[in-house]
Amino acid sequence: MKVVFTTPRYGPEVMGGAETAARQLAEHLVAGFDWEVEVFSTCALDHLTWEDVVAPGDSELNGVVVHRFESVAGRADDFYGLDGRLRIAPSRASRREARRWVDLNGPVVPDLVRALAASDADVAVFYPYLHYPVVEGIGRAPMPAVLHPAAHDEPALYLPVFRGTYASADAICYHTAAERRLVQRVHGTGSRPQMVLGLGVDEATEGGRPGGEVLGTGERPYVVSVGRVDEHKGSSMLAAFFRTYKERHPGPLALALVGPVSAAIPEHPDIVVSGTVSEADKGDIVRDAQVSISPSALESFSLVVLEAWVLGVPVMVNATCAPTREHCEQSGGGLWFGGYREFEAALEHLLEDADLRHRLGARGRAYVDEHYAWPVIIERYAGFLDQVVARGKGPTSVL
Amino acid sequence: MSGDGSVDEVEDHRAYLAQVMAEIDQEVRRRRSSGDLPARVERQLDELFLEHSPVAGRGGALEDALALVDSSAFIDPVVPVASNRSGGAVVKKGLRSLNLWYVGFVTHQVSQFAAATSRALHLVEDRLGELARELDAQKVPPAPVVDVPGDGDPTAWWVAGALDALGSVPGRVLHAAASDGWLVRHLVAGGVDAYGVDPRVGRIDAGEREGLDLREEGAVDHLLAVEPAGLAGIVLSGVVDGMAHGERRQLLELLGDRLTPEGVLVIHAWSPSAWGSDAAPAEADLSPGRPLRPSTWSHFLEPMGYRVGVEEGPSGADYVVTAFRGRADRPR
Repeated sequence: MKVVFTTPRYGPEVMGGAETAARQLAEHLVAGFDWEVEVFSTCALDHLTWEDVVAPGDSELNGVVVHRFESVAGRADDFYGLDGRLRIAPSRASRREARRWVDLNGPVVPDLVRALAASDADVAVFYPYLHYPVVEGIGRAPMPAVLHPAAHDEPALYLPVFRGTYASADAICYHTAAERRLVQRVHGTGSRPQMVLGLGVDEATEGGRPGGEVLGTGERPYVVSVGRVDEHKGSSMLAAFFRTYKERHPGPLALALVGPVSAAIPEHPDIVVSGTVSEADKGDIVRDAQVSISPSALESFSLVVLEAWVLGVPVMVNATCAPTREHCEQSGGGLWFGGYREFEAALEHLLEDADLRHRLGARGRAYVDEHYAWPVIIERYAGFLDQVVARGKGPTSVL
Repeated sequence: MSGDGSVDEVEDHRAYLAQVMAEIDQEVRRRRSSGDLPARVERQLDELFLEHSPVAGRGGALEDALALVDSSAFIDPVVPVASNRSGGAVVKKGLRSLNLWYVGFVTHQVSQFAAATSRALHLVEDRLGELARELDAQKVPPAPVVDVPGDGDPTAWWVAGALDALGSVPGRVLHAAASDGWLVRHLVAGGVDAYGVDPRVGRIDAGEREGLDLREEGAVDHLLAVEPAGLAGIVLSGVVDGMAHGERRQLLELLGDRLTPEGVLVIHAWSPSAWGSDAAPAEADLSPGRPLRPSTWSHFLEPMGYRVGVEEGPSGADYVVTAFRGRADRPR
């Protein structure tokens, strides 16, 4: 079996949920089944500019052959104006406007699409739905196409250009049932062959140091939020909630924001912004946290929630984020908040009750073991790809 | 923890979590009514939260929207005077004192208007609540899915005929309610591109783990998410039996839109006589409707362009309806 993945960024340097997921699946297919796996991607690492920074051409990474193509255009300055206008009523955008949105969003990589059209792979996997390589490539792939949308409820999902993207998929693979409901509601994909797969989670890497030592907070108790420190990920909102919480509940509790920083968080004596840390440091920090908080409303899966559970740490998630809330409801491993009041009450509940924290953390761990261990995931995924290949190529939609 | 992932255990988890969230909700209500957090601060924090909420989640519940109106109804004329500049706070405080009589007069009227609007919205909410309660008492519940005699058995008397009718259709075939995928598995083995849905919690789990395309959804909800003419065949077993007339008609209209012009519809159902016997499931008493007589399906479907064949089972407990659209060459 030969599989080709198409994704706009690829490599261990890329800090994106969808891109990381694509890389993990590709590498596990090679390791677990000895399949031939190739990747078609760009030379970009930054999803805001799509600037070419990696050399074009072929290379190999953990058994996966990577073909990189230069972009003829990254994200255009005009993008933001158009995006701001279309996001008010995205479903009412004209096809031409929506098509222009895709081009301006970048990365525009016609060589990648041409190479894909000439590929001899048995099946093509596209990840995520949002960018030019997938929008242009999925209808031109000569082999059966599997789309991993990695969709969340954002204005772009409603742009009419993506109807063609979804209609061209021979099969769809979702992260969660919530993502499936969302995509089915917006794009009517119910009868497409599909599965809810999720992502595999590895055992945590730990460095053996106390989390407080890694953070420089000593013995202070703390809660943690792991992931890109970004306006769109809810980091600023979490910091504001936490500042108010501390005004009303003075004490030693601290908040640690762990991950690459792209939003300015006002300095506060109880908020530690660590920046990017090693996997071992991250494991130590999360393991010793009282609670792990995912404030983002825009997640299609959220590995960080599951990684907290691997370490037996309970989570709090944004109530409006259907996938992370679904994880909590299914597992019984976390609570959710739909505003400051609920944030405060839920956090108090967890901090005051060690038994509750333990129970939730243990349930989360059991949930991960049952559904998201890599051998379980990759076996199901390989079986799914076999079925897609056996079913063959269906009609593609006009883009 | 030794989670075995059973349906009972999952239900226990959900009940425990629901209890914890109810305690949190109760605490939130208590504190909100105590006014322990300045309305301006709560409003700012809630707006910050809503700013990054998903498209479909913004202002979803009337109760949430009203809470936002309530917290925004008071316009505070006493503006903050903190400043990062030396003497800034003193200057701002002076300006505030000078303007307070004017700003206070204006904001008092705006606050009065907002309070009156909020009051009116609460009256509307109360009235809607009353209407919802009255309607709830008269509401016809959706029909539950039931197991039909022979479900789960690929050698059941009607299955070979269904496979014959569906074996050559060009496209996907849906089975609802699919249970553990027993019929989907059989159809796939027979070369049919089949998948299934079933709304009953945990029913599909084993089949899904096996790699069958099964989803935990109701038939109507699922069909609403299928594109027009997206299905070449549909098998309904245990879905229409207890439906009230309106619900059944709505489903058939939906089927008509989702089936291809040459699609095939197979309905396996309890017979009306068996539905009234002790052999019928408890749902028979709890359903808003009862199974149609087999001949009524012809009356129903033929005007919609189907050619209908009906066959009763050997025990008299069940029957199967096979309906073809737009083709005259299919025997039944």
